[in-house]
Amino acid sequence: MIEWLLPGRERRLKRKFEQAAALAPEGPLRDYYAAGLPAFSLPVSGLEMMAIDLETDGLDFEQSAILEAGVVLTRINAIPAHGAHRIRIRPSDALSPSSVIVHRITDDALVDAMNEEEALALLLPLLAGKPLVAHFADIEAGFLDAACRRVYGTPFVAPFICTMSLENRWFPRTRAADGLRLAKLRAGYRLPAYTAHDGLTDALACAELLMAQIAHHGCTALTLGDLVRR
Amino acid sequence: MTSDSELGEIHAFLAAHPPFSRLSAQALGSLVRHTEVSYYRRGSTVTTAGDDNRFLSVVRSGAVELKLGGTDLNARLGEGESFGYPSLIRGGPAQNEVIALEDTLLYRVEKQAFLDQRRADSDFRAFFDTDEAGRLRRALEGSRRMAAGDASEALGAHGPIGSLNRRREVVTAPPAMPIAEAAKLMAEHDVSTLPIADGDMLVGIVTDKDLRRRVLAPGIDTALPLSEIMTEHPITAVEDTPVLTALVMMAERHIHHLPVTDTSGALVSVISSNDILARLGSNSLLIAKEISSASSDIEVARACSLLPGAVTGLVSAGVDADHVSRYVSTIGESAHRRILRLAEEELGPPPVPYALVCFGSLARAEQALGSDQDNGFIFPEGHQKAGRLPYFEQMAKRLTDGLDGAGYRYCPGEIMATNRLYRQSVPQWEMRFFQWIGQPDPDAILQSTIFFDMRCLAGDHSLVDELRRDVFAAASVNKIFLSFVARAAATTRVPLGFFRNFLLQDDAKEGQVLDLKTQAIAPIVDIARLHALANATPATNTLERLRAAGDAGSLDADAARDLAAAFEFVRDVRLRHQAQQVEAGEAPTNKLPPASLSRFDREHLRDAFKMIRDQLDKARSKYAGGVT
Repeated sequence: MIEWLLPGRERRLKRKFEQAAALAPEGPLRDYYAAGLPAFSLPVSGLEMMAIDLETDGLDFEQSAILEAGVVLTRINAIPAHGAHRIRIRPSDALSPSSVIVHRITDDALVDAMNEEEALALLLPLLAGKPLVAHFADIEAGFLDAACRRVYGTPFVAPFICTMSLENRWFPRTRAADGLRLAKLRAGYRLPAYTAHDGLTDALACAELLMAQIAHHGCTALTLGDLVRR
Repeated sequence: MTSDSELGEIHAFLAAHPPFSRLSAQALGSLVRHTEVSYYRRGSTVTTAGDDNRFLSVVRSGAVELKLGGTDLNARLGEGESFGYPSLIRGGPAQNEVIALEDTLLYRVEKQAFLDQRRADSDFRAFFDTDEAGRLRRALEGSRRMAAGDASEALGAHGPIGSLNRRREVVTAPPAMPIAEAAKLMAEHDVSTLPIADGDMLVGIVTDKDLRRRVLAPGIDTALPLSEIMTEHPITAVEDTPVLTALVMMAERHIHHLPVTDTSGALVSVISSNDILARLGSNSLLIAKEISSASSDIEVARACSLLPGAVTGLVSAGVDADHVSRYVSTIGESAHRRILRLAEEELGPPPVPYALVCFGSLARAEQALGSDQDNGFIFPEGHQKAGRLPYFEQMAKRLTDGLDGAGYRYCPGEIMATNRLYRQSVPQWEMRFFQWIGQPDPDAILQSTIFFDMRCLAGDHSLVDELRRDVFAAASVNKIFLSFVARAAATTRVPLGFFRNFLLQDDAKEGQVLDLKTQAIAPIVDIARLHALANATPATNTLERLRAAGDAGSLDADAARDLAAAFEFVRDVRLRHQAQQVEAGEAPTNKLPPASLSRFDREHLRDAFKMIRDQLDKARSKYAGGVT
């Protein structure tokens, strides 16, 4: 029905992607852009995606620090455990007590962690060329963009699949205020309860949710364009 | 990359489920790295029969159904259960079609990682054994060890050795005491073991045997001090050591006496293996003795009322099902005999020689708790009317009432000596049997099979022997009768296994209650009986019949052994269940809710069910031509 819009969305994202690529300084971010943007016409079966979850010490993209990035390689029929990576990041300031409680990450645990620049140099190659999957992807998109601007002075652009908005788009219904939370949605698909607020586990939880959503959508001819957030 | 990139949820889940729970963190970590996660919507196909299978799959959430060849329901598996390993081990295509019964998340371990772990770890390999019989035999050994282990924490018969009765002050001697004097001391106090103490401290021990072997035999001077011949630093146990642990210590070292110390090491007493056995089996030995000396039915009943407690003790001591059943049967037999004897004392000597015959589990020496009575009288040929004599009518009434009072309830099917049909002469009994054999009909077969398990409990044994010989001779040559018996046995609905807290049947019905007697024990008894009838085997006990069938070649040796293992295991589960019921103050039954079964029991019951089903099928095709 609105398929004619898709090329436009793809065109706009591609333009942003290429603009950012042109600005990126030599190094990990430039290499990331060099891998290119996957085409929206790619069939979902066989597509390699990267589920990502960031643990941060606040919700302000500019002010809060990323403490941990969990990424999980995702295909719609299987999530291989060896494709999971956790990167711990040392913030410049000491942790706020509240985020210690929520994320169970303490200053001690971060002694071995790397600084933001080292972390991005590790993370970006993992994300290159792949659509990124997150639950409420605005957060991950915002924090990655802010981090790249801090470290490289230029923006971060990626095709994001947001499992929260996908749920609303594919299975619209009236819900409780917290009805779109990851754990709530997972329970609806009979996915097991996982420990929340661990970057790696949340990324896995999100990847599994995407598998379930696609299985329940039932269409075998889905393309990347059907998944990417609008 | 930091090393904590492992998916903790997968690790934690597998670590909570056997056999992964027994793996080292390192071995498990390696499996987790070779695992992938897949989601299947309800109704979708996970594996198609005949396809290549590359994974050992573990259900993380949801449930799957396995259908052999895509048609016959084989199993339903829920959270934590695994499938797919037989084809990995065999190296062939999948034999089962696997369908998601619910929305299902699977953790799937890659083939090579699974096979590597299997190669490296014998426990892991044993868990995924595709040979049900082997797994069941190991389970039997394991459950014994477990029972004996649990018992050390139980109270009562399994309390600390300090609670064993000490008859008198412990007699000790100093190491310097001359041997001759010590021997005199031991004789005076009638002890066979003499602890040698230096002050309060135990320094050695001398036994009767030491005096024989180390003094008399080599001809040593008895004026020498004890220190020359004593066993130094003997094994000791602290007072709070559980009785069973002490028994194991003694059994392992082949010693019969064990000095007991307090926590400071000071000698408190010496216990003997007899003290311990008396404690473990105190009830068991007492009951038989009390029954044989009972002077009234009430006294018999009182002794029999101790039986459930005694069985509980034996079960928790890890005594195997066969011995417990034989013990229970022995008590049952004594009760029958004693009550009959008391009736005879009152009614006077019998006007006609007769035999008290029993049928069913007591005849097979396989009684569990809560059995009802099945009995009759047999008279010699020429005494067709003896059954009508008031003497035997009264005798039957006294017997069955007495037994009912002692906990052997009246038979609901009236298979009791009080029923005139079951007070008959040998030829009359034979006529009844020959009718069942000569004109079999499916209903009559089901009702009559227990009569083919008969045993004489009192009176003239030759009457029962004669009846059995004639009946079995007639049955063994009647192929039509045997085919009816085989078919009747095969109608038993042996479950497939369990799914969550339900019993799973092959028509996909899920039951709430497992009846161990009718659904698992009876079919094995049926198979054994069928072979006994076909071979005219005189044995009545199921294990003996299976052995005889194996020896005679009518059952192959492996099948005979496997059925025996299955029989042992299901009876073991029943006795443990009954012991729990007794401890909870409930009446022992054969029925239990699947939810009450441990994972261990469920898995091995499933193996036993599988073997029983296979053997019922084999028996049917052997004796009934495979036609239903």
